[in-house]
Amino acid sequence: MPIIEVSDLAKQYPLPDSKSEKFYAVNGVSLQIEAGEVFGILGPNGAGKTTTLEMLEGLNDIDGGEATIDGINVDKNPYKVKEIIGVQLQANEYFDNVSLEELLTLFGALYNRTIDPLSLLRKVQLEEKAKAKPANLSGGQKQRFSIACALVNDPKVLFLDEPTTGLDPQAKRNLWELVRELNSTGMTIVLTTHNMEEAEELCDRLAIMDQGKIIAEGTPQKLILEHAPEPPEAPLHGDLEDVFLALTGHELRE
Amino acid sequence: MLTALQRHLTGVFMKIFWRDRRSIFFSLFFPIIFMTVFNFANTRDQEPIDIGIVNDSGGALADDFAGMLTDSPLFNVTVGEESRLREELIAGNQTMVLILPEDFDVNLGEDTSEINVVVDAAQVSQLNLIMPVLQQTLLTIEREFRSIEPMFSIEIEDVQARSQRYIDFLLPGLMAFTLMQLSIAGSGFNIVEYRRKGILKRLFVTPIQPKDFITAIVLARMAIVLVQLSVLILFAVMLLDISIVGNFFAFYFVVILGTIVFLCQGFCLGSLAKTQEAIGALGNIVIMPQIFLSGIFYPIDSMPEWIQPIAQLLPLSFVSTGMREIANAGASLIEITPSLIGIGVWFVISFVAATRLFLWKEVAN
Repeated sequence: MPIIEVSDLAKQYPLPDSKSEKFYAVNGVSLQIEAGEVFGILGPNGAGKTTTLEMLEGLNDIDGGEATIDGINVDKNPYKVKEIIGVQLQANEYFDNVSLEELLTLFGALYNRTIDPLSLLRKVQLEEKAKAKPANLSGGQKQRFSIACALVNDPKVLFLDEPTTGLDPQAKRNLWELVRELNSTGMTIVLTTHNMEEAEELCDRLAIMDQGKIIAEGTPQKLILEHAPEPPEAPLHGDLEDVFLALTGHELRE
Repeated sequence: MLTALQRHLTGVFMKIFWRDRRSIFFSLFFPIIFMTVFNFANTRDQEPIDIGIVNDSGGALADDFAGMLTDSPLFNVTVGEESRLREELIAGNQTMVLILPEDFDVNLGEDTSEINVVVDAAQVSQLNLIMPVLQQTLLTIEREFRSIEPMFSIEIEDVQARSQRYIDFLLPGLMAFTLMQLSIAGSGFNIVEYRRKGILKRLFVTPIQPKDFITAIVLARMAIVLVQLSVLILFAVMLLDISIVGNFFAFYFVVILGTIVFLCQGFCLGSLAKTQEAIGALGNIVIMPQIFLSGIFYPIDSMPEWIQPIAQLLPLSFVSTGMREIANAGASLIEITPSLIGIGVWFVISFVAATRLFLWKEVAN
């Protein structure tokens, strides 16, 4: 049963050079994300991944199409949607001078919930950092803490925007482990990534976006079989990066 | 009245602001330095004016005259040779030299005796102070000599029944200025900073309403501003011996109203400015003219005529005038109605502008 249903989603922005002309950052995106799956959105910079996510999170106005999460219309009931989603944004800075423990309690209060900050910190292996300030965390710790903040309301859907960008391999794998753990409790996870290994390792299904449209969708294995160059020679657990490049081209973006 | 969320958020912001010790220190440091310097410069006794007397006469009256001036605390008198005193005058060691002529005592009561005053023209401002004293002294001698009673005497009655020093004038204005700066910076700079860090965006994806956020910032900042001002007032009252005549509740009432007005203005600026540089520039445009035009350092009455009507309408003018009338003249809230109306009008303007400009989604993005 899909928990997220998106049909024909569109977002327009004025062009940077001429204000009168517009371009589509997201152009007719339709998605069905099943409850309990890890769904990955891949795409080069500027493909519209983050904009799509932001529209689902209520951060960006929806210019066309419709999106529902757990049957709630995102556009019409943004506050109801906010109650059931957890969000980790690309920027992960927080207030100065407040400890992790205090920040988590604050985030709980934003949902009118009294939470146990220590058990959440234990979940993301930051229990011993309870009294530390976010500014003193490493990159991986910051990302794990961001996820802890996104979990205060026990969300049905967790959105992760490039969660492992800039992390070292250890921190990356540690974060994958956390995502798998959360997913094993039945939480639906939607993430964007540039990391093909991550997409292949973590995601049940993928959508590849380019220029505001979804150009391919399916399980990693299916995408590799259908799109990897010379399918007979490519091993089944082959290189997803080849798929990505074959679909989006080698040209540099931004 | 407040929801649990608003109370919690207010508490968190109070913690955040309170733990920012560096900005609290600087917000107190400058007003305290200011007050101390002005207080010191003002309460110091007037330095006696150096004058030289050349007594060519040597008569009893001339000695009397010289003696009276020597006794006056206003003057530091040197009696000596004309040539030496003239040199000292040129060197700047004397403000003026009085030359009592040989015939000072002669023909008294028949001819007018002339006293020659040699001055350095650069010291004219001092002259205005000295000449009336000289004439008064001469008049006293003359009356004694002619044995007549003065026809008039002036008795000074201070209707405020206490002396108004410059520091007394300055303190309420300085408080008003400090609260303006703390409030505008407290909301404006914070919003820009939170947006830059992506914190507003992060808050936006939670079910928090903008009014919860604004209420919490306003209450928390107000609490901190009240603590800061109380420290300044305590410092002024205990260490600088400045008296606040009026009712403390009335005084704080104006402080709280002023804080709300300037916090709203800070929200406006914080919503308009996208970068720290922009908020700095915008903040200066709002703050700088008010420093000079709102009667903080000198009364609005002493400004050029054409600028007074504008100066009187500035928000800081209403706040500082209200605070000053309470602190200096013991005015009640009813007596400062004009200031309260002014603050009220500015509150409506600032509040409407803040709610129009602070659009949650746009400010967050």
